[in-house]
Amino acid sequence: MTFRGTLLFAGGVLASLGLGWIAFPHAIYTSRQQPVEFSHKIHTGSAGMQCEDCHALREDGSYVGIPPLEQCAGCHTEPTGQTAAEKNFIEKYVTPNREPPWLVNARQPENVWFSHTPHVRLAKLTCARCHGDQGTLDKPRVYQEDRISGYSRDIWGKPVANVKGPTQTGMKMDDCIECHRAAGLEHSCLDCHK
Amino acid sequence: METNRRDLLKLAGGAAVGIVFTPVPWRLITDAALWSENWPGTPQPAHGPLTARYTNCSLCPAGCAVRARCISNRPIGMAGVAGHPLSQGALCALGLAGHQAPYHPDRLKPASASAAPVAQAIAKGGVAVLDLRPGRTASWTYRRAMAAVKGLYVTAPQPLPFAYNLSAARTVLSIGAPLIDGWGTPGNVLRARAGFHLIQADSVESRSASLADTWLRINPGSEPALALGLAQILLQRKPKAVPAGMAEAAAQMTPARTADATALSEKEILDLADALFQNGPSVVVAGEAAPEAAALNALLGGWGQAVVARQEAPVPESWKTAAPATELASVPDGSIHTLLIDESAPGDYIPWGVIAKKLARGSSSVIVFSWSGTGYARHANLALPTAVFPEALDDLPAPADSPAAAFRLSAPLVEPPAGVVNPVEVIAKAAGIDASAALRERADAIHKTARGNLFRYADGVSTPVKDLKPEDFWNALNEGGCWIDTAQAGAPPLPKWVPSASAAGGADLAVTIVERRFAGAPGSPLMSKVYKESNLQLGPNRAALNPATAAGLGLADGARAALTTAAGSCEIEVILDPAVSPGALEVAAGPEVLDICGAFARAKVVRA
Repeated sequence: MTFRGTLLFAGGVLASLGLGWIAFPHAIYTSRQQPVEFSHKIHTGSAGMQCEDCHALREDGSYVGIPPLEQCAGCHTEPTGQTAAEKNFIEKYVTPNREPPWLVNARQPENVWFSHTPHVRLAKLTCARCHGDQGTLDKPRVYQEDRISGYSRDIWGKPVANVKGPTQTGMKMDDCIECHRAAGLEHSCLDCHK
Repeated sequence: METNRRDLLKLAGGAAVGIVFTPVPWRLITDAALWSENWPGTPQPAHGPLTARYTNCSLCPAGCAVRARCISNRPIGMAGVAGHPLSQGALCALGLAGHQAPYHPDRLKPASASAAPVAQAIAKGGVAVLDLRPGRTASWTYRRAMAAVKGLYVTAPQPLPFAYNLSAARTVLSIGAPLIDGWGTPGNVLRARAGFHLIQADSVESRSASLADTWLRINPGSEPALALGLAQILLQRKPKAVPAGMAEAAAQMTPARTADATALSEKEILDLADALFQNGPSVVVAGEAAPEAAALNALLGGWGQAVVARQEAPVPESWKTAAPATELASVPDGSIHTLLIDESAPGDYIPWGVIAKKLARGSSSVIVFSWSGTGYARHANLALPTAVFPEALDDLPAPADSPAAAFRLSAPLVEPPAGVVNPVEVIAKAAGIDASAALRERADAIHKTARGNLFRYADGVSTPVKDLKPEDFWNALNEGGCWIDTAQAGAPPLPKWVPSASAAGGADLAVTIVERRFAGAPGSPLMSKVYKESNLQLGPNRAALNPATAAGLGLADGARAALTTAAGSCEIEVILDPAVSPGALEVAAGPEVLDICGAFARAKVVRA
């Protein structure tokens, strides 16, 4: 191969490496804003609330997930502040009684069976252990979704090229396996994929 | 400098090599795999709260308790109910997949077919209802309906009216009965199995034979001879009353004669009698030789203890004037003008040839209520689609391994599709009787006795019925409760004994129907080829014979032959297999075979 040919070949290699390691990790995800600029920081800080005040386990052990609008409306029937986010929330959702279409970072695929009860009540895991520092954020994280698989960035795929999300969460299958293995609880695939 | 095609190829080659060393292809492969899981048309469970609902499986007469895991009230998984007194927390493979039954590919599609011909047929007279699973409340409704229109209520040949308490036994002798695979309630039998020594006398290595402690390989058709031989030994040791005629017949069956008939040695027969006599309580369960087995149970002292009269849950007094049950065999040939078959709750398949004989020639019609198109619907003039578990509301009588009466509802977990009919409603309406609240009336009749306990599935608590209000009792039954009687069942009368003889002749081959594991066409052409040409699995209309048996019949491997039973005939291809017992015939289950072979069938095989 001539020098020119070698140069072109090397150029092709370098272009692919650049594309694959720099552009692709960003391009694979699409980003969307949450419908409400919800501040966990205010609620767990000045409002003095705990995680389980809204994200509770029901009496039967099932998990309530994101609280319904009815629960938010308990305090937010009228604006409790002057911010644009508060105004938007009241006008768009509370007044017309419409559930905000939350984008759930933690939603697992259909083939995953997960119960909060044993993790919270038996293993005594804190919310932050899997969900990261959500409880201290002033704004909700941008929801990032894999363009092809359709899954949230938080629940599928290792960090590509070490490009991590805004916070490193522990809700991917590898994280589950790692924690179960450390606790000596790794039994079989059917534990989660029933 | 000009850029030519070769330059572009070099650049592309470099890019192709480079891309392999990036995450791109590997991530795209996994992402594409995940994407394919969510293609349009892929069923997705609904989102919603996860709940547990309880019912009883009605796919077979055992009626095991079911805990259904539901999302948004739709069942997505089935499991047994821990601590259940009848099913002991277990569920068979069919029950575990029971929530998929509504999507069965052979299901009759709800159509525009009208149930009006049922009323017209009943009005014409000469009508009979064939009930494949008697003892249900629906059965009583059919009996009441037939009493109202002077019709006939017909049942499949029923096992003798005994119930067995296997947990009280230390030794169980099964003479050809499928004790471990489908005889009683799977969980109850398997739980009791740990406490008894199982001896299976069988002509083929059935699943029960494989799982028995001892398998005695006997000649096909020699089950009654073995029972009589054992009776002769036991009568000599401890004389007791046996049904008329049986003692004389048993006296003829010396150990030597029994050994000749069964192919066991005299020592094996004497050892078997010793095992039953010394390691009691012993119970004998039989498929074909049921009267002889009943006498053996009486001789072994289990009569009234481990073997009791089979009990039925109480019914309202007003129902007792209903038409009596007539066994199909007792119905005169050619006497039924219109036959209504309720196949929505199937029991053992009766060969169609047996049923067809009872129909009036030329002018008869058959109306089948069924959820499946592969059964009697193939022979019907009109097939009406019904609901299937877990869509249908029905009740379940006590199984053969429950010494006490029981009453359970198979409460629906999902709505049936539009267009299906309820056979009970249709027949009752056509006969002019009101049976809309029959289940509730029966529940009230049970409650009125103030007997027994109600076992609630949700909390596993048993409550005496006398402590419950009628409404609470009914509601609990609808939430998957089970009523079990506390009244002690007594010893049943010994059945009449008649010498056992096969319908098609004593010298005929004993037929074993083998389930075809590859029921549909396998997806791979390679598998199709292996499947079709290897005979590793018996294909449709193929029958396996021992080479010695085939030689005696003048049949070679691959020969075409006619398989003839008392119910009809079909053409088969003969396969030689040394693993098949001499004198036995293994044939793959299929519509033609089922139409002529029932349980314990005997058949002739003649070269075509």
